Amino acid sequence: MRCVFFNDQCLDCEMADNPTSPAAGSHDSGGEQSPRSGVREQDRYLPIANISRIMKKALPANGKIAKDAKDTVQECVSEFISFVTSEASDKCQKEKRKTINGDDLLWAMATLGFEDYIEPLKVYLARYREGDVKGSARGGDGSSKRDAVGGLPGQNAQFALQGSIYESTSTGTAYDPNFHARQ
Amino acid sequence: MRQAGTYSGLLSGGLSGRTGPHSLPLARIKKIMKKSGDDVKMISGEAPILFSKACELFIEELTQRSWMMTIQGKRRTLHKEDVASAVMATDILDFLVNLVSNSSHSMDNPVEVETIATSKS
Repeated sequence: MRCVFFNDQCLDCEMADNPTSPAAGSHDSGGEQSPRSGVREQDRYLPIANISRIMKKALPANGKIAKDAKDTVQECVSEFISFVTSEASDKCQKEKRKTINGDDLLWAMATLGFEDYIEPLKVYLARYREGDVKGSARGGDGSSKRDAVGGLPGQNAQFALQGSIYESTSTGTAYDPNFHARQ
Repeated sequence: MRQAGTYSGLLSGGLSGRTGPHSLPLARIKKIMKKSGDDVKMISGEAPILFSKACELFIEELTQRSWMMTIQGKRRTLHKEDVASAVMATDILDFLVNLVSNSSHSMDNPVEVETIATSKS
């Protein structure tokens, strides 16, 4: 028996042989261990339109992108997420924690060589948290908030903690806020 | 709680609007995270938010590095082979080597070949 009514959303039912599953969301905690075994594409990759938009932003105006390049980058991004998540998950297991949090991911990225991302991510997270505290919408640019990140002492004691973690675990280089200039 | 409301507002903003605060869908990110391993069971709310930005940075970096290869080949269209060459040339992208070499089989370094060809002429 197949999950006819959810044909669009629930292709997993066919392969999992579990026609009673009501919706795709319920598969979240399921055991699809083999990512290449026919899990539907929407679950494995981020939307190609979003990827394409971000790629275009990174190119000069006269640059074009072939479809095969978009597809490849789409695969690479999923691999990146898995790569970092696995590292963070290992850390959580070692420390006997069950929930992967933002700090774990930052640590994993620093460990795996993406320390350039840490600073902008901390800024991004701080803006998000700040927005949360104030309950304000975050649609705007928020450039004024950006300046406040380093300065507000009461905002996030956690950031001070993060800083110390990375200084001791990463290669000892100070975080360069202008890292984008190096590219 | 107020936080939850704000969070779900964020979520829908990211999913629906192009101008939303997150440029990539958080639910999808979470799914991909959960597929990373059996022991990935619980994920904090801010983890996918962090990833939405991290993926953006990653895509930008990968695209810029690939574009350098495109330019080296004196072309204006970024192809899969450029991504593969960029991965090969970058240490921190080593984890993608299998992925790009599998999909671009039998095309060993087309960029270099092209560069040589153009420099001869």
